[in-house]
Amino acid sequence: MNKLLNKSLKSFTIYALVVLAASVPAYYYLVDSIWLRELDEHNEIVADRTENELNQLALTETELIQSIVLWNKIQPGTNLQKNNLDKNRKDSTYTVLRKNPYVAHEDIDRFRGLSRVIEINGETYLLTVETNVEETEETVVAIAILTFFFFLILVVGFLILNRRLSVKLWQPFKNTLTRLKAFNLNSQTSITFENSNILEFQELNEALNKLIEHTISVYKTQKEFTENASHELQTPLAIIKNKLDILLQKEDLTDRQYQIIEDINKALTRVSRINKNLLLLAKIENHQFDESETINLSKLTEECLEQLQEHFLNKELRVNISIERECVVTGNGVLIEVLINNLLLNSIRHNLQKGIVEVKLNQSGLIICNSGKAPLEKEQLFKRFKKTSDENSGSGLGLSIVEQIYKRHQWTIDYDFQQETHTFKINF
Amino acid sequence: MKILIIEDENELADSISEYLSEENYLCEFARTYNQALEKIESFHYDCILLDIMLPDGNGMNILEELKRQDKQDGVIIISAKNALDDKIKGLQIGADDYLTKPFHLSELAARIYSVIRRKQFGNSNTVRQNELEIDLLAKAISVHNLPVILTKKEFDLLLYFIGNRNRVISKSTLAEHLSGDFADMLDNHDFVYAHIKNLKKKLSEAGCESYLKTVYGTGYKWEG
Repeated sequence: MNKLLNKSLKSFTIYALVVLAASVPAYYYLVDSIWLRELDEHNEIVADRTENELNQLALTETELIQSIVLWNKIQPGTNLQKNNLDKNRKDSTYTVLRKNPYVAHEDIDRFRGLSRVIEINGETYLLTVETNVEETEETVVAIAILTFFFFLILVVGFLILNRRLSVKLWQPFKNTLTRLKAFNLNSQTSITFENSNILEFQELNEALNKLIEHTISVYKTQKEFTENASHELQTPLAIIKNKLDILLQKEDLTDRQYQIIEDINKALTRVSRINKNLLLLAKIENHQFDESETINLSKLTEECLEQLQEHFLNKELRVNISIERECVVTGNGVLIEVLINNLLLNSIRHNLQKGIVEVKLNQSGLIICNSGKAPLEKEQLFKRFKKTSDENSGSGLGLSIVEQIYKRHQWTIDYDFQQETHTFKINF
Repeated sequence: MKILIIEDENELADSISEYLSEENYLCEFARTYNQALEKIESFHYDCILLDIMLPDGNGMNILEELKRQDKQDGVIIISAKNALDDKIKGLQIGADDYLTKPFHLSELAARIYSVIRRKQFGNSNTVRQNELEIDLLAKAISVHNLPVILTKKEFDLLLYFIGNRNRVISKSTLAEHLSGDFADMLDNHDFVYAHIKNLKKKLSEAGCESYLKTVYGTGYKWEG
């Protein structure tokens, strides 16, 4: 994942690169045109002076010719030639590339030239003045190097600024994020965000506060609803149950009627069971259990197994038990007993006739295995009222309760199906 | 035997009374907290059934009031709450038992029976039915004065029947009773049959008359 600031840094860097790259030709044209203008000016001054000086010398014709020959020989960059051009011909400027004969290696120089018709002693001469000017590529390279240097300074600056800003600017955001991450809806405690003097963060915090408060209140209402609804159901359920008990005592009852009452009774037991389990779930979620007791798990597990002894026998299950002495955990005794019982009951209910149940307990975890035909869907396993097998006598809440309990105790659970055996492992 | 039913739900109170009155229990009602206070101040009851959630007060206070007045009435708390705290608190303040709604009337009758026996027969708590003698304290029985060894579950069952003499008790009710708070999750009730069979066998082998009858195929009734 990209960091937000890195993303803007990338754009800034690309933009700076484009602008600076575009500035290279711009600078070049600017520098070059200033150069040329200055050189034109310089050439004109040289031409003016040459014309003036030569006229003031008032040389004779022979002297003048000799002088011009000499001039042309020793004065670099200028040339004077007798010519019959019109005196009023306009000056012309030009740029020319020429080999430099005075250096060993091959070198081509650029010259800016001015050719002008001047008049000396009434005769017209063509004067050309040429001055060396920096070559295009040299200028471009120099500017490009300088620009690149500035570009580097910019990028390094961006990086340093970025690092500093990301720490400072985003601090409030990071604080908010840390608190959000630590938020647990189950604990139902609201978060207080630090005040920020940055408008955006302040708005974010306010919006989050509102959202969290709303969520907590909805969650609370829902939890209370479950608990209250379950409570309210207990009394009518009790009435039905009791009326059935009374009906059962009627002396003119037929076998068929008895059977109907018994069927109603069984269904009623299931409703009560679901109701009880919903209530238990709500209570666990509402933190109504103290989880700081010290529990002797070895003893507790043995007691649970003892209580279920007849059910093991009933289904002719072979039970392999390996319980380490004195396994102690911290938690809630009632809840842990429910957890063990639910897992054990499942190992009986979802077992095959004459199957195997294995219970292993040591300091690191509790393993309960039982024979089975097909693996269960892991994702659906702990969901409420999700039937993972065709067996439908359960309340559909047993494993949801198991889940709530192991989560409450900060334990984990693994489920596995191998060699026709379901394995649940609780890791303390 | 006088029973006070402190319960705001009329239907429930009526059912309890109807079931119990056949067993020579005389039931009185209190629908509110204040009525209950009046009744316990003026009369003595063998057993009080106390719903702790009353419209005008907390049933726990009635328990405290009983204790303050030094009354010896047996008290069974009936609550829609299965809260362990309430259970422990109630038993600490002086309740003799705690029953969570919804319950079977046979369960309630059995509990009332043992509370009253415990309260009133203290040290020599023995029930006799012809040749059968049950020592509730020692949890032992004898037939024709010869001891018969029962398992815990079998003794429990026997006591349940004694507390519900001449009543039809269905197999599913017994299953709920035997498997306690949690294990009623198993729908297979065959284990009930196994226990009953063993109990019957042990009693008849010791020469006890067969008071325990099977009715309607899967129901049971203790005659006596």
